[in-house]
Amino acid sequence: MVIKSPQDFGAGILFILFGAIGLYVGSDLTFGSARNMGPGYFPMIICGLIILIGLIVTAKSLSLEGPAIERIQFRPILFILLAIAAFGIFIAQIGAIISSILLILFAAYARREVNFVETIVFAVCTAAFVVIIFVYALGQPMPVWWGR
Amino acid sequence: MEVFEHLATGFMAAGSLENLLFCLIGTVLGTLIGVLPGIGPIPALAILLPITFGLDPLSSLIMLAGIYYGAQYGGSTTSILVNMPGEASSVVTCIEGHQMARRGRAGAALAIAALGSFFAGCVGTVFIAAFGPPLSAIAQQFNSPDYFALMLLGLVMAIVLAHGSVLKAVAMVLMGLLLGLVGTDINTGLTRYTFGLSGLWEGIDFLPLVLGLFGIVEIIRNLENPPPPRETISTRLRDLWPNKQEIRDSIPAALRGTGLGSILGILPGGGAVLASFASYTLEKKITKTPRKFGNGAVEGVAGPEAANNAAAQTSFIPLLTLGIPSNPIMAIMMGAMIIQGIQPGAAVMTTRPDLFWGMVASMWIGNLMLVIINLPMIGIWVKLLSVPYRLLYPAILLFCAIGVYSTSTEPFMMVLMIVFTIFGYILHKLGCEPAPMVLGFILGPLMEENLRRSLVISRGDPMIFIDRPISATLLVATLLMIGLIVLPQFRKTREEAFQEE
Repeated sequence: MVIKSPQDFGAGILFILFGAIGLYVGSDLTFGSARNMGPGYFPMIICGLIILIGLIVTAKSLSLEGPAIERIQFRPILFILLAIAAFGIFIAQIGAIISSILLILFAAYARREVNFVETIVFAVCTAAFVVIIFVYALGQPMPVWWGR
Repeated sequence: MEVFEHLATGFMAAGSLENLLFCLIGTVLGTLIGVLPGIGPIPALAILLPITFGLDPLSSLIMLAGIYYGAQYGGSTTSILVNMPGEASSVVTCIEGHQMARRGRAGAALAIAALGSFFAGCVGTVFIAAFGPPLSAIAQQFNSPDYFALMLLGLVMAIVLAHGSVLKAVAMVLMGLLLGLVGTDINTGLTRYTFGLSGLWEGIDFLPLVLGLFGIVEIIRNLENPPPPRETISTRLRDLWPNKQEIRDSIPAALRGTGLGSILGILPGGGAVLASFASYTLEKKITKTPRKFGNGAVEGVAGPEAANNAAAQTSFIPLLTLGIPSNPIMAIMMGAMIIQGIQPGAAVMTTRPDLFWGMVASMWIGNLMLVIINLPMIGIWVKLLSVPYRLLYPAILLFCAIGVYSTSTEPFMMVLMIVFTIFGYILHKLGCEPAPMVLGFILGPLMEENLRRSLVISRGDPMIFIDRPISATLLVATLLMIGLIVLPQFRKTREEAFQEE
């Protein structure tokens, strides 16, 4: 078996997995009948269709040439996700200013060659700007500084 | 004339100082984000959605509509000046507009795009005012089977118009439908696909989903493949005016574009992208000087720009009268309306006429503001293009995070956003375009409910979809579209159309 289109092969497998998980998780939902659709009726049909498409896409990827999967670069996605996580973890306890600065610092390191001083200055200014706009101008309820 | 009475109500509502201000903020912010290369209306709307939540419903809708037009217009500016389309509907503007810019006619191209869009916007507004009420009267005739058939047609159209592989687009729509079903089943009260998480009982939150799939994945994509250094064409204000020949060539093109766009916007699945491609193709077909196309033909800017703006406007008609979004952008609009506690549909026009007509009027006001802020201030927007991306993306990311937090302080929302970022990233790597998924996500619960009701009425007999004339017509149209996709000749044209991007 030769995979001729890695992108499509991956997509096909993803669809099959997605549909299979949907079928498995939804297996305890009542299917019902057309006359009286149970909570499982519509989801099961959709999952079945997703798996069907997945199978076709996978099969085609074995016979038709297609693009390769681009190399995954771990640095950008990792740091971006860390930045969001840090913000989410700290916002409630230590407030919007510090968590905004943390988010920008982490996000900046998603690139190589970071100018630390520039980033810090930018982070502080942006955090101040964001607090002024969201908390004071738009009145969004948000702790600014240690729960206040 | 009743139309003008209605419009007067609308202008009263939208013309309040407060709403004018929100309209202005919306168009400015939309342009601001839309000008950034690579960010089209979908990510722009997603990123700016949270700031509208604190407002009252009318102001927030006015602002969102402003953001949408602003983002679309900002995208055209970027296409003309740097040859980087922000999104699919400015692709064709890129072809001719950038060529004009290279010949030193950047100002003229921008002016024609702005004025063409404004003209189309005016017509679009009247179009909605004139066709909204009769269409919503037709909508009263719609029953569950008809709604189901209409949504099916919309989804099939979305698949036809999606980038890349048809099969993948089908899978995207289906996955969106399933994601839309997560939460409590309204009929039985049972929870579905919640994995025991109470945060999912009311369904997957819209904002973390769109921000993850579109806003944040976009940032990661740009970081992985930094766009090549771009040649920016500088303009001076005095170059702005098109010459006589350009005006003479562009007026009929803009008229044709407006007509085409207004009609294509109403169709299920239609919208700005379809309209601009169709208008460009039309102009290319009927021109007497085909050699000019590809070398900066002014008709190729005026037509598509007018068409996409007209369609952007008229695509609100199905949303406002039938409560069904015809494309992914309208799906985001619908999501925003639901968050505001408004269920879009024919009822809006009768229960909240100020809301409906106010929004229609604000579209016109927004278009006027766009011309005002875009032409004289073009220099500022161009400057914005020189803000380095290394500063831009952390700020955008912060905006997304604060936006999600300000709508719900649940930490779970951040988790959802992270999950959808990862999901969107995988989809991107596998060459799947997530836009059709949003449409499926919004339509999922609606489709299930209408299917269920139809089959309850007919006691399980699927013939009900064929017996009713409206649904039968819509199903025939759906079948025709599916037939088109399967037809090899059409597939070739479709691939070629997307090849130009």
